[in-house]
Amino acid sequence: MLLGAPARALPNAKPALVLRTDTARIQTRYFDKAYLDECRKLPEYHYEDLKQKPSLWTRFWRWFWHLFDGFKVKNSHSFYYYLAIFLKYLFIALGLATLIFILLRLAGIKNIFRKKSAEAEVPYTESLENIHEIDFNTAIEQAINEHNYRLAVRLLYLKSLKQLSDANLINWQLDKTNSAYIDELKNMEQRDAFAVLTRQFEYVWYGEFSINSQTFQNINTLFTHFKQTLA
Amino acid sequence: MQNPDNMENPVFESRTDLSKLSYAVEQIKATIAKIVVGQQETVDLLIAGILADGHLLIEGVPGVAKTLTAKLIARAIDARYSRIQFTPDLMPSDVIGTSVFNPKTTEFEFKAGPVFGNIVLIDEVNRAPAKTQSALFEVMEERQVTVDGHQYKLDEPFIILATQNPVEQEGTYRLPEAQLDRFLFKIEVKYPTLEDEIAILTQQHQQKTIEQLTQIQPVLSAQDIVAVRKQVRELFVEPKLLEFVAKIVYETRQNKSLYLGGSPRASLAIINGAKALAAMKGRDFVTPEDIIWITPAVLRHRIMLTPDKEMEGVTPDEVVAQIIQKIEIPR
Repeated sequence: MLLGAPARALPNAKPALVLRTDTARIQTRYFDKAYLDECRKLPEYHYEDLKQKPSLWTRFWRWFWHLFDGFKVKNSHSFYYYLAIFLKYLFIALGLATLIFILLRLAGIKNIFRKKSAEAEVPYTESLENIHEIDFNTAIEQAINEHNYRLAVRLLYLKSLKQLSDANLINWQLDKTNSAYIDELKNMEQRDAFAVLTRQFEYVWYGEFSINSQTFQNINTLFTHFKQTLA
Repeated sequence: MQNPDNMENPVFESRTDLSKLSYAVEQIKATIAKIVVGQQETVDLLIAGILADGHLLIEGVPGVAKTLTAKLIARAIDARYSRIQFTPDLMPSDVIGTSVFNPKTTEFEFKAGPVFGNIVLIDEVNRAPAKTQSALFEVMEERQVTVDGHQYKLDEPFIILATQNPVEQEGTYRLPEAQLDRFLFKIEVKYPTLEDEIAILTQQHQQKTIEQLTQIQPVLSAQDIVAVRKQVRELFVEPKLLEFVAKIVYETRQNKSLYLGGSPRASLAIINGAKALAAMKGRDFVTPEDIIWITPAVLRHRIMLTPDKEMEGVTPDEVVAQIIQKIEIPR
């Protein structure tokens, strides 16, 4: 209904705005010439392209690749031409191989060229103390002479482990516990004897029980008897 | 004093009198064995944890006697026992206590919460949200509670035995790492073997369990616990074995399968746990086997697997076993 009503002027409507020309006087201002000249002299406002000298590294590579270009320019069918191409691609291949190797190492992948052994057996050579290289008899004798019976018991125990390993009665591995070696022995007599030796070793070595010459002699006898059971 | 571990070869004598401790351990084991079938490893770890002055987290699916075993351990010790059932609406003040206005004196008085006990059994610890869990931080580490600026010390011994269902179970929250690190061991209670299950049924059928539960007598007092803990702390550890422990924990921080490795608190926990285990065996020194046996219980809740290993189904125990295998046993 409202839309259909005729348009009427509103009672308090304002008169239409009239555009007027700005006639105000403009005072032109100029820059101070002396100050401009002074600024022009300043080096900060001199925008010249600074030609940077190539770095030592860039110059080295330019020289390096130029070596191959040098071959090429002289004779495009000579032996040196093909040698240059070969060397160029050889260097590129070596560079790529080095890059891949570094990336693989960073990713934590090791031994990519080595075949993984089926059995994760740790070789003796990786041990801090290679029981197969120790001259036990000399070392034990020296320890006894120095009255270091604790060390002597330790060496006796390591020697018995070597004897068991040499006789293929145990599978020597660095991460195996003494109990694991005891469990590996199938012969009950050997197992019991070795369990006793193990206990002696543990009390002396891990427990740091002080032992005198007499106690050592008793322990040494036990080790000697054990050796006889292996024969 | 003759060492029981050394009867066949009377060369060495124990430097520490562990006879009372050994007797108590055997008594506790025997008491629990009357009611709980199997679970020898769980019981050993619980006893070792108590001797090593630690809080213990027991995890297992519902119905494997987690709470019962914890209750039995608590009953075997003559000390103030309290129990808190953690629920999703539990507030920190429900655990530690709160200040209440006393109109007679016109002053606020502190009403101690159930955490003020010697042995506190927190059942279903992971059913409460992080806000309530964080209330336990100060209690577990510093053995004190701070309310309204006042500090309240807890009595010794203070042991928290917390049980929880695996996180995959409905309505459970993952405990914050800071709280997990405060538990000495996480003991995983597994399903019983077929033989053990038959024995459980037989025992229950003959209605022996309830009768035996009422007959349990305390084996150790709170003062005894404090005394044996002192003995355990003083046990001997060969310096190379300390190095061995440090290498294990250090390796957890380098291992590619792990997102989070063990903290120095974990190294200390291994040493303390191994000492407790050695004492339980009647030895006054630690061997590498003690360390190897205790390490999974110390590390399994402190380390975090990388997401890919978690998706592959690798368990923290498997990673710990691999780490130990890499390190040469000192001898």
